Amino acid sequence: MTVAKPILLAEDNPRDAELTLAAMEAEHISDKVVLCHDGAEVLDYLYCRGQFKSRLRGNPAVVFLDLKMPKVNGLEVLRTIKADVNLRPIPVVMLTSSREERDLADSYALGANAYVVKPVEFHKFLSAVKELGTFWGVINEPPPESCRSTE
Amino acid sequence: MESAPNHPPRAPLLRAKQPKPSGSVLAGSSVFSVAWFHRLTIEQRVLAGFSLVFVGILIVSAISYRNTSILLTNSELDSRGYDLIQLLNNIDAAMSEAEDAHRRYLVTGEASYLEIYKKVVQQKPTFVAYLNDLIRGSPEQQQRVGFLDRMMDRQLNVEAKAISQFQEGGFRAVKKMAFEGAGKRELGVIHQVITEMDVHERQAVGRRVMESAAGTRNTIILLGIGALLQLVLLAWVYYLIRHDITERRRVAEELQRRGELLEAANKELESFSYSVSHDLRAPLRHIDGYAALLRKSVEHSLNDKAARYLQTISDSAKQMGQLIDDLLVFSRMGRQEMLRTAVSLNQLIKGILAELRLDLQGREISWTIAALPEVQGDPAMLRQVFMNLIANAVKFTSTRPIATIEIGVEHPSSMESVLFVRDNGVGFDMQYAPKLFGVFQRLHRADEFEGTGIGLANVRRIVHRHGGRTWAEGVPDKGATFYVLLPARRRDS
Repeated sequence: MTVAKPILLAEDNPRDAELTLAAMEAEHISDKVVLCHDGAEVLDYLYCRGQFKSRLRGNPAVVFLDLKMPKVNGLEVLRTIKADVNLRPIPVVMLTSSREERDLADSYALGANAYVVKPVEFHKFLSAVKELGTFWGVINEPPPESCRSTE
Repeated sequence: MESAPNHPPRAPLLRAKQPKPSGSVLAGSSVFSVAWFHRLTIEQRVLAGFSLVFVGILIVSAISYRNTSILLTNSELDSRGYDLIQLLNNIDAAMSEAEDAHRRYLVTGEASYLEIYKKVVQQKPTFVAYLNDLIRGSPEQQQRVGFLDRMMDRQLNVEAKAISQFQEGGFRAVKKMAFEGAGKRELGVIHQVITEMDVHERQAVGRRVMESAAGTRNTIILLGIGALLQLVLLAWVYYLIRHDITERRRVAEELQRRGELLEAANKELESFSYSVSHDLRAPLRHIDGYAALLRKSVEHSLNDKAARYLQTISDSAKQMGQLIDDLLVFSRMGRQEMLRTAVSLNQLIKGILAELRLDLQGREISWTIAALPEVQGDPAMLRQVFMNLIANAVKFTSTRPIATIEIGVEHPSSMESVLFVRDNGVGFDMQYAPKLFGVFQRLHRADEFEGTGIGLANVRRIVHRHGGRTWAEGVPDKGATFYVLLPARRRDS
């Protein structure tokens, strides 16, 4: 399988990150994953600044966003993305432990494209991550890059 | 600024003095009546106060009315009394005039004197009639009037006789009488009676004047006392109402304060359960995840024992995840806002059975479902109640070749509905009944029936929030019946 665009994974917990990457490895898409450890890094990546200053230009295929992260939390990142004309087309999938109705409502209100609760059972987690990675990274057709032309 | 330092030392003195008089008053009055009074509600006290004021006004009005009537009667009597005195004077004068006129006639034979006499004779019945009219109600005076009437008749008769003797026999026949006056003696008596009557009437008038003055004074005093009492009563009622309003305001403020505290506590609890749901689940996921990764990486060298250990690690993590989820649902069930609508239990049960259909595959269950009433409540919460009860019935009949589950209603009434779910499952010993609805209470081992033991705790919490009750009956190995009582109208929980 080939992945045209990177998958941005925002996950502050190294164990969750490792487990997610392990799941994606099974689908051979882990090499396309860019891991950010907090919300600020996600924004740095999207705006090509800081450690991502010299990265290849272009939006990721999808952003997997944890809700609870240090510095800038998931909802704030989501709000920034959906408020920016250039970033708005990027699909954002909330990948979180929270099943709270409030989080669900807030995420969708801010324009999240999907909301996935990380299952406790690893095999369910595995299949969820596999499916998400395959769907958003491979099956789903990402928005055309031309929408950045307003820059 | 200058007066400020003066106040603090004075205030305690005032406060120390105030309770004393009220205390002594209370001690003086009957303890029983105080206790009785304290048992009255504020409404009853205010009503009692207003009733007393009303009764006071009635009494004062009645007495004032009586006194005023007496005054009116007296003043009427007075005017009659003065008329009587005037009339007596007139009669006295007329009788004297008659005596005088008849004597002059006897002496002079002048017809004009006879006319004067005749006029008095004509007036006499009018005088007597008028007299009788004025002394109505006084037997003493009536007696005198009777006597006076007779004396007047006698005087006039004697004089009339003298006049007729004079007309027949001339002056000589009446010479003696002409100088002395025929009715002189009677006139004297008349004069005396009239004086008596006059004195009597004047005394009566004097008495009435005093009586009226006393009556007026009494009325004024009564009005004053009545007004004062009513003022005191009204002040008391005002105090009661004011006190009550102050008290209510204080309670309302207190309630609001507690409400705010409760809200804050709820918020805290919410953020607590939020972090429980978010943070506690993560390590569990890691335990299960790394156990799976470990299994994968050592798959080939793994013996049965080690494989079982790894499996147990995973199972425990999953179980704890389930417990956390259940606990969160349970906690949310207590805080969540309740809807209040009509819920058709028939529809509700139908929906639950449709949802359970997949789980029921391979099971043989004989369902008996009665026509169920409509109840008031939160549809989602009530759905959870019956979902739990039915799922339990299904679960605990899984060892039966043919399960029978009955859903029905007992003693239907307009006040409340008692619904039950009965099964022929493994049942339970009644001595454990009190534990059934507790959080994480289980009567069966985990390897017999799975579950976390939160379902019935949720049932009880929801039913309690609806103002109802739950209980259960069971016989080991025979079956169990779970009852839910839902009131027709919710007592606010």
